[in-house]
Amino acid sequence: MRTMSSSTVERPTAQGPDRTPGGPTRRTRLRLARLRDLALIPPIIALLVYGYTLKPDLFLTKAYLVDTVLKYQAELALVVLAEALVLIVGKFDLSLESIVGIAPAIAVFMAVGNTDAFGAPWPTWTVLPVALVFGGLVGAFNGLLIVKFKLSAFIVTLAMLIALRGLQLALVGGATISNLANRIPVVDYLGSLRVATLPLSIWIVVLCFAVGIVVLGYTRVGRSLYAVGGNPAAARAAGIRVERVVWVTLIVAGVLASFAGLMLSARLGSVAANQGSGMIFTVFAAAVIGGISLDGGKGSLFGALTGVALLGLIQNVLTLAQVKADQIQAVNGLVILVALVLARLTSGKAQD
Amino acid sequence: MTSKFRSRATLAVVAASFTLTMSACSMEDPAPAGTAGSSGTGGVGVDLPRADSDFWNAYAGYMPAKAQENGVELTGTTNSQNDVQKLISNIDSLVTQGAKSIVMAPQDTGAIGPKLDELAAKKIPVVTVDTRPDSGNVYMVVRADNRAYGTKACEFLGEKLGGTGKVIEFQGSLSSINGRDRSEAFKECMTTKFPKITVFEEPTEWDGGKAQAALETRLSTDPDIKGVYMQAGGVFLDPTLQVLKQRGLLVPASDPKHIFIVSNDGIPQELDAIRKGEIDATVSQPADTYAGIGLYWAKQAMAGVTPKEGATDHGSNVIKLPNGYEDQLPAPLVTAANVDDAALWGNNKS
Repeated sequence: MRTMSSSTVERPTAQGPDRTPGGPTRRTRLRLARLRDLALIPPIIALLVYGYTLKPDLFLTKAYLVDTVLKYQAELALVVLAEALVLIVGKFDLSLESIVGIAPAIAVFMAVGNTDAFGAPWPTWTVLPVALVFGGLVGAFNGLLIVKFKLSAFIVTLAMLIALRGLQLALVGGATISNLANRIPVVDYLGSLRVATLPLSIWIVVLCFAVGIVVLGYTRVGRSLYAVGGNPAAARAAGIRVERVVWVTLIVAGVLASFAGLMLSARLGSVAANQGSGMIFTVFAAAVIGGISLDGGKGSLFGALTGVALLGLIQNVLTLAQVKADQIQAVNGLVILVALVLARLTSGKAQD
Repeated sequence: MTSKFRSRATLAVVAASFTLTMSACSMEDPAPAGTAGSSGTGGVGVDLPRADSDFWNAYAGYMPAKAQENGVELTGTTNSQNDVQKLISNIDSLVTQGAKSIVMAPQDTGAIGPKLDELAAKKIPVVTVDTRPDSGNVYMVVRADNRAYGTKACEFLGEKLGGTGKVIEFQGSLSSINGRDRSEAFKECMTTKFPKITVFEEPTEWDGGKAQAALETRLSTDPDIKGVYMQAGGVFLDPTLQVLKQRGLLVPASDPKHIFIVSNDGIPQELDAIRKGEIDATVSQPADTYAGIGLYWAKQAMAGVTPKEGATDHGSNVIKLPNGYEDQLPAPLVTAANVDDAALWGNNKS
C-alpha cells in the first residue's frame, strides 16, 4: 500500500509545519506546498464563471451558492475530512460510507423503530450521542484489527463496509425509515436550523475543518499524524506512539462519518437502507483531487476542502447546464479530468 | 512473548467463531432441497432482485403466503442484490437445490439472456417479474405496464396544471428498463398532449440525495415550478417533502403556491402522504399481485400448461412476445379520492 522512499520521508516536514531548522530550501518548499493547497482555486473560479454565464441573475448570489451548492456538500465534506485524516496517517478506511448509513439507522431505530430491545424506544435526544458513539466503536474495532492484529487496513475496512451495510439491511429489514423530521426534534434541527442565516450543517463543517486545520498545522498531535504517515519507523524512533496515533485517528474518522450520516438523514428526512452506498468513491476523489496522498503523510485539509467544493460545483453546474441524462456521468468524469489538468498547470507541482 | 501469544489466541478465537457462524449459515441451505424432492410437481426457486427497497421488501414479504395460497413449494429464496453475476450464480444454486422452475426479477434485462436460454435447454421454465428480458426464452413475464406509469403521471400533472407550466421529473436509472419506460412514456405524452409544459429531466440513479439537490437547484432557477413527477416513492418522497417544507411550499392543493406531486410505487408511506395532502397521486405497483401471479404462472409452467393470449381471470391481459408471453397487470392511479381503497396493497400492511 505504501512505498517508502527518501522523498516521502522528507516531504511531510515540508508540507506540515517545519520540524527541521530553517533555510532557503525550506522556504521554497513551504511556498510550493502552500501553492499546492491553492491548486484547485483556478478550476473553481472557472466553474464559477461558467455558472455565472448560465444564470447571471442568480448564480453568484449568496442564497444560491449556500442553499443549492454548499449545503449539499456538507456531509461529503465531513466524510472527506475523516478520510483525509486516515490517509494522512497512512491507512485506508473504506467502511466510512457504511457508517454514514448504519450509525443514523441504529440511533433512529432505537428511538422510533419497531423494537423493544435494550429498553427501546429510547428518548429522541439519544439519537445524536448514540450515532456518534456507534461510529466511534466501529472506528475502534477497525483499529483493533488494524493496529493490534496487524491486518491490512484496506481489506479490514472493505470487509467492514460490506458487513455494516448488511447489518443495516438486516436491522431495518431493507425499508426506508421515513418521516423523521416530524418525529425526532434533533434531526429536524440538524436539517433545518439556521445560525446567522447559514444552515447549521455548514457551520458544523466550517468548525470541524477549522479544528482539524489548527490541530494538524499547529499542534504536536497533528504533526505526529504526518510523521506516522510519512515514515512510521522514523516516527517511532522519534518517540511517537505510532499505534495509538493510528487508532485514535480511526476512531475520530468513525465519529465524523457517523455525524455526517446523521446530517444526511436530517437533510433527507429519512434513513434509506442504501444511504451512503457508493459514496466512498466520491470521498476518495475529493480527497485525492484536493492533494491528499494515497501513500500517506502528505496533503492538507484545506486542499481536501477545495476538492469537495470543486466536485460540488461540477455537479451543480452540470444540472444547471441541463446536460442530458445519459451523458451526465461521462461529462462529469471529463470535467474532473480537465480540472485536474488545470490544477497541474497552474500549481506547477507534480500530483501523486 | 505472552502478549503476542495472547493476541494470536484472541485472533484465532475470533476467526474460529466467525467460520462457525458462516458454516452455520450455509448449513441451512441444503435443508429445503430435501423437502422439494418429495413434492410431485417440484419446487419453485425465487430470486429477489434487491434488499434495500421498500417495494421489493413488500414483494418478498408476500412470497411465503402467496406460495401457500397457490399450493406451490418454495425450493429456496435468494437475493441477487441488483447484481447480474450474483443472480446467475443464485440460479445455479437454486437449480442444484432442486428447483423445477424459477421466478426472478432481473434488473439488468440485457445480460440475463444467455442464462435464460440455458435454463430453457434444461427444461426449467422461467417467470420474470417486473422486467422483460431483452432476449432469452421466458415462459411468462409478469409486470405492470411501466409505460402506463409515465403516461398516467403525465396526464394527471397535465390536467392539474391546465396544460401549461413547468414540471420537474426525477428519473430513475437509465440502465433499468423500468426507469427508461417511465421516462420515455412521460416525455412522449408531455410532448404530444401538453406541448406547453416545460419538463426538467433530472437523472438520479434512484438516489434521494441527488434528486433533492436537483430540486433545490431548479426551484432556485425556476421558482414557478408547479409539478413534480418522481419515478419511485420510497427513495424520493421524504427528500422532496423536506425541501418543499423548508421553502414553505408544502401547502394544500387549493393554495396557488401548491406544487402537484405524482409518485410511482404505492407503498404505505405514499398513501399516508396522499391522505395528508402532501402529495397528490401515485401509481400503485402491485407488489402482492406480482408475488401471487408470478407463482401462479410458475405452477402453470410446471404443470405443462401453454399460456393463451387475451384476458385472464385475474383482471389482466396476456400478450405474445418474441421470446415468450407477458401478463400485463393493471396498475391503478391513486388519488385522495380512492386512497382508502382496501384493495390497494399499500393499505394491507400494518
